[in-house]
Amino acid sequence: MNRLDNELRNAMRREEPPDGFAERVLARAAETKHISRITIFTQPVFRWALAGAVCLLLAVAGVEYRQAKQERARGEAAKAQLMLALRITADKLQLVQEKVQHLGNTQRY
Amino acid sequence: MRKPILLCIAFLGLAVGAYAQTSSPCKIPVNLERLAAKASEVVDVNLDANMLQFAGNFLNKEKSDEAQAQKLLSSLKGLCVRSFEFDKDGQYAAEDVEALRTQLQSPLWSRIAGVRSKRNGENVDVYFRMEKGSVTGMAVIAAEPKELTFVHIDGFIKPEQLAGLGGQFGIPNVEMPSKPAGKAESK
Repeated sequence: MNRLDNELRNAMRREEPPDGFAERVLARAAETKHISRITIFTQPVFRWALAGAVCLLLAVAGVEYRQAKQERARGEAAKAQLMLALRITADKLQLVQEKVQHLGNTQRY
Repeated sequence: MRKPILLCIAFLGLAVGAYAQTSSPCKIPVNLERLAAKASEVVDVNLDANMLQFAGNFLNKEKSDEAQAQKLLSSLKGLCVRSFEFDKDGQYAAEDVEALRTQLQSPLWSRIAGVRSKRNGENVDVYFRMEKGSVTGMAVIAAEPKELTFVHIDGFIKPEQLAGLGGQFGIPNVEMPSKPAGKAESK
């Protein structure tokens, strides 16, 4: 039992780190942090590419919006023409209907 | 060397001509352009099947007149309206109207109703184009003292859709008499 206690005590005994251990750990940590920052996202080429892509996207969106707006205007104009044409047609048919109805009523009485 | 170029030009001319012929919704020649100079108001509507479908996409189904128009559009191939409004009487000749009527004298076209009003000077003719028992077109010629209107609707038209035109587009509906009268002569 004593032997086991001694072995455990030896294994678990407090041991001081070697000199400069903490500094070396901090230095390594700082170095790792620095290395991880140098990725593709920090490259100037990537930044330019990203800016270009955003500009292109905005330009495409602008053109699309303009086209949609023009399409809508054309559609509204076509609709207005259609409704005007139908209104005129209905107006003339109504005139004929009224006359036919009037004649029908006259003949009835 | 010149022959292929001339052939190309001739082919292009034919193609453009054929396209112009097929793309025009007004299949009945309406030579009334010269009246436009005298008219105080001109309505010139030309919508082919594509434009009708395109316009149909912008119709609001919740509005009754637009919903009615949507129903009509599904089977139409073209819609053509020429209307001239004048400040004075007698700005167009009787021959202008007669020329239009002559266009509709083919066996396919039948004059189904006509109004002659000596009192108001209103003359309206309604023509149907019948093919295999179906109405495949309608034309209206309305000649009034200060107004001349020509309407041509190309495509299948159901009679109930035509009846629906009355009472829509801001025009009050008029009940048709139970016994159809082919021609009205109002004097």
